[in-house]
Amino acid sequence: MISSTLILCVISLDSSGASVVGLANTSITVAGSKADLRGKIPLNELGQEISAPPAAISISAEDVAWDAGGVIKVSWQPAAGTTSATKWIVERSEVLAAGQGAGQGAGQGPWTLVAEVPIAETNAVVSKLSPDASFFFRVTAVSPNGSSAVTTTKSAATGHWNFFIGAKLPLFCAILLVSACVIYFILAARRGRPMKVRRIAALEAITDAVGRATEMGRSILFVPGIQDMDNIQTVAGLTVLGNVSRTAAEYDAAIEVPTSRSLVMEAAREAVQASYLAAGRADAYNADAIRYITDEQFGFVAYVSGRMVREKPAACFYMGCFFAESLILAETGNSIGAIQIAGTAESSQLPFFVAACDYTLIGEEFMAASAYLSGEPDQIGSLKGQDVAKAIAAIIIILGVVLATGAAIAPQGAMPAALEWLKGVLGS
Amino acid sequence: MRIVATDCGSTTTKAILIEEKDGVFRQTFRGEAPTTVEEPFADVTLGVANSVTELQELSGYRLIADDGTIIRRKSAADADGCDLYISTSSAGGGLQMMVAGVVREMTAESAKRAALGAGAIVMDTIASNDRRKPHEQIQRIRELRPDMVLVSGGTDGGDTKKVIEIAELIAPARPRPRFGGEYKLPLIFAGNKEARQTIERVFSGEGFALSVVDNLRPTLERENLGPARERIHDVFLEHVMAHAPGYDKLMTWANAPIMPTPGAVGDILQTIAKGRGINVVGVDIGGATTDMFSVFGGVFNRTVSANLGMSYSISNVCAEAGMDSVLRWVHLDMDERELRNRVKNKMIRPTTIPQTLEALVFEQAVSREALRLAYIQHKSFATTLKGVQQQRTVGDAFSQKEAGGSLVDNMALDLMVASGGVLSHAPRMEQTALMMIDAFEPEGFTEIAKDSIFMMPHLGVLASVNPRAAMEVFEKDCLVVLGWCIAPRGEVRAGRPAFDFTLRRTNEVVAQGQLIGGEMRLVRFGHGEVGMLEVRPERGLDMGAGPGKPVTREVRGGAVGIVLDARGRPLKLPTSAVERRACVEKWLKALEVYE
Repeated sequence: MISSTLILCVISLDSSGASVVGLANTSITVAGSKADLRGKIPLNELGQEISAPPAAISISAEDVAWDAGGVIKVSWQPAAGTTSATKWIVERSEVLAAGQGAGQGAGQGPWTLVAEVPIAETNAVVSKLSPDASFFFRVTAVSPNGSSAVTTTKSAATGHWNFFIGAKLPLFCAILLVSACVIYFILAARRGRPMKVRRIAALEAITDAVGRATEMGRSILFVPGIQDMDNIQTVAGLTVLGNVSRTAAEYDAAIEVPTSRSLVMEAAREAVQASYLAAGRADAYNADAIRYITDEQFGFVAYVSGRMVREKPAACFYMGCFFAESLILAETGNSIGAIQIAGTAESSQLPFFVAACDYTLIGEEFMAASAYLSGEPDQIGSLKGQDVAKAIAAIIIILGVVLATGAAIAPQGAMPAALEWLKGVLGS
Repeated sequence: MRIVATDCGSTTTKAILIEEKDGVFRQTFRGEAPTTVEEPFADVTLGVANSVTELQELSGYRLIADDGTIIRRKSAADADGCDLYISTSSAGGGLQMMVAGVVREMTAESAKRAALGAGAIVMDTIASNDRRKPHEQIQRIRELRPDMVLVSGGTDGGDTKKVIEIAELIAPARPRPRFGGEYKLPLIFAGNKEARQTIERVFSGEGFALSVVDNLRPTLERENLGPARERIHDVFLEHVMAHAPGYDKLMTWANAPIMPTPGAVGDILQTIAKGRGINVVGVDIGGATTDMFSVFGGVFNRTVSANLGMSYSISNVCAEAGMDSVLRWVHLDMDERELRNRVKNKMIRPTTIPQTLEALVFEQAVSREALRLAYIQHKSFATTLKGVQQQRTVGDAFSQKEAGGSLVDNMALDLMVASGGVLSHAPRMEQTALMMIDAFEPEGFTEIAKDSIFMMPHLGVLASVNPRAAMEVFEKDCLVVLGWCIAPRGEVRAGRPAFDFTLRRTNEVVAQGQLIGGEMRLVRFGHGEVGMLEVRPERGLDMGAGPGKPVTREVRGGAVGIVLDARGRPLKLPTSAVERRACVEKWLKALEVYE
């Protein structure tokens, strides 16, 4: 499995991915509240008129293909002498119904600034337009000496919604690849191909913990977190509960499950009852041992801690979503000499569990527990397929790091181009 | 001082004479005779007297009186007789026990460890989680005919319910003992002290001789095997031996309690490990079973691999390991069909010995696999305690080790002792050394020795009476030092340097050189020689001080010398048959195994 370090790397990839998007859009700078210089002819210090740059010869606007609509590419042909200007201003206007828009061009509404681009550029991609709406565009060259005359598109352009968004093609390919990996490994596992999953000490220790409770004649305490069933960690915790209660049934040890949500109590009862049935000990199942305490975070903690101090369970399991109560519970369990096994994906609580518990399932280990414990080919195959996908992600991260480093060291080489290509693929 | 010691085996009774000369104890003579525990003799002392008579003939001392008893000296000036007589016994199948506990991996395992450590064969382990239904457990208990039962379960103040449940399975099942109907089956209870009263009530009926000792696991964090082991020895003498033919008489002859043979071997290995402060592994490979002993960090463990042996169990070794695994050690062309015939022949004629080089090579290949499998079993049994609370720090986040890890660490292993026919009676010492190295894969610096005439049982009992005598004889006469194995842990790359070595005697360089990955080399270093060996491993290879770090240690010479093994650990043989055979042949030549 990919370690949590890798997950952090993925996050950093996301951040760099975001920056790629930003870089791609730097040529289109949305204007702020800048002064409009058009129509004002500046004078020099002698009071003579200074000549403004010439207007663009022609302008056209066309829909960008394979997108979700709302993006139109505006292109223009600059006239000779435009080089004295500093930038182009691109504006758009909605198409108005007949009779509206007095004082404007035919069918044109008020003009809105949509982009300012360097003078060397001859096109601009205008985004965030309403899909399937039509717009006119005009462009003006601006210099310190004044603005050129406007050049307006002859007809309105419409950004059409497309079924397939071409920019998402790499993402589509990635999904296909991951799905293929998962399906391949599920099928391979079903065919009986051995799949190696590394030993997870915390899950192997379940029998030790239950055995300890059996030998000491004490109970097992299982806390499935403090969140409701809509939290995936609670679901993962209940999966582990199924295994723990099955072992407890086989060893004939008592198990107690306090919950802080009524729905979790019902689900936990189902899981434990199923385990007792599977172990052939349906008679030993005690529904009253799985009970709802309170939704109040610290009220729940107070009850569980008190119970631990009084009953001194020999094994404590904390599997689910925990917050401030993690250390309180784990320290109490440690003080009564119980074997403690915790599992959570809350990274802020992990250090407390690691320090105070005997074993801790960290992040993804907790999520993978179900496949690990059940050993079902579908689950194991899925786990393996995801691992392969993560390995591919890790390779891409390493490639990105190498290219970015290479590009920084040798800006003139092939590395920058390769880096841009990668950014383009990932940024899309 | 003159000591006579005997070991009454199933087929042979072996006697040795130990004498103190010039203040040093030495084993001087050895005799043996068939064991006479079975009909028509049905008196073990006859075989003892016969074997001691052979000692008498060889030594010239009169040791057997006219009435067949062993003569005792009244003073050191007496020419005849001995000062001390001791004995061990494994006749009639040794001590056979059934053990029970609450959780198979906890108290039941401790009970098994106690029984095995006392020298017993564990016939079965009953536990509440052994995945058998109560009627199946009862059926099994009824089928077994143990000499003794050991029941454990629950910590002190812990569970009583399940301990009593197990007792209530055993009591009505009434397992029948091996020795007759009048015999009360000894049952030792070493469980939760709060359950004692109930246990006494449950076993109060006829048929059981209950004795209660301290709990094997007073807490799960502590294992207390001593009282149970001692009680097993006592019960072995009081009940089991007393009912075996002639043992009542033999017990009156002996100056120390008669011990089960494997128990005595365990005792001497523990004495040696403690005395020299080392970690030891001992093996006794027999025809039907292989006994494995280890002392790591002062913790003694013994296992009996019941189906791994060189005659009765040879077929099982080939089946369990697979013929391919056996044949990977063979460098000669062999017809697999013929080998299978050879295996079956050995099974039905267990006393045959190899007559050709081919047969010898094959038998030694089988022994490597038998030893390897027995060692794997031993490693999985010799573990730290399970169910124990762990203490962690945040630094353990990514290295959470499980409880119940194996105590056996090949890098920490200092001495390997080989015994048993195929090892002790190999035509060349180099063969014994290589069999041990291939099967055990020792790492770092490991001394290899063999028990010259399987004297360890005698010395085990002697250690309880005269530890100095036992130690001196063990060092000087019992152990034949073969030499040292020097092997790095880690994967080597074929054709690339693995390590450099320099062997010095005082300031003189005896040998030096470089080992290439996959190579073996033998440096002859004779018995009694002592030198300093410096080994400088390449990066990634560990000689005990960490990867790539040099190690210098004192080494003693032996009959073989110093074996430098650069094959890497774990040991991997080439997959291609041609390459593998070439490799094996190269190693055999380097160590002069069959030359």
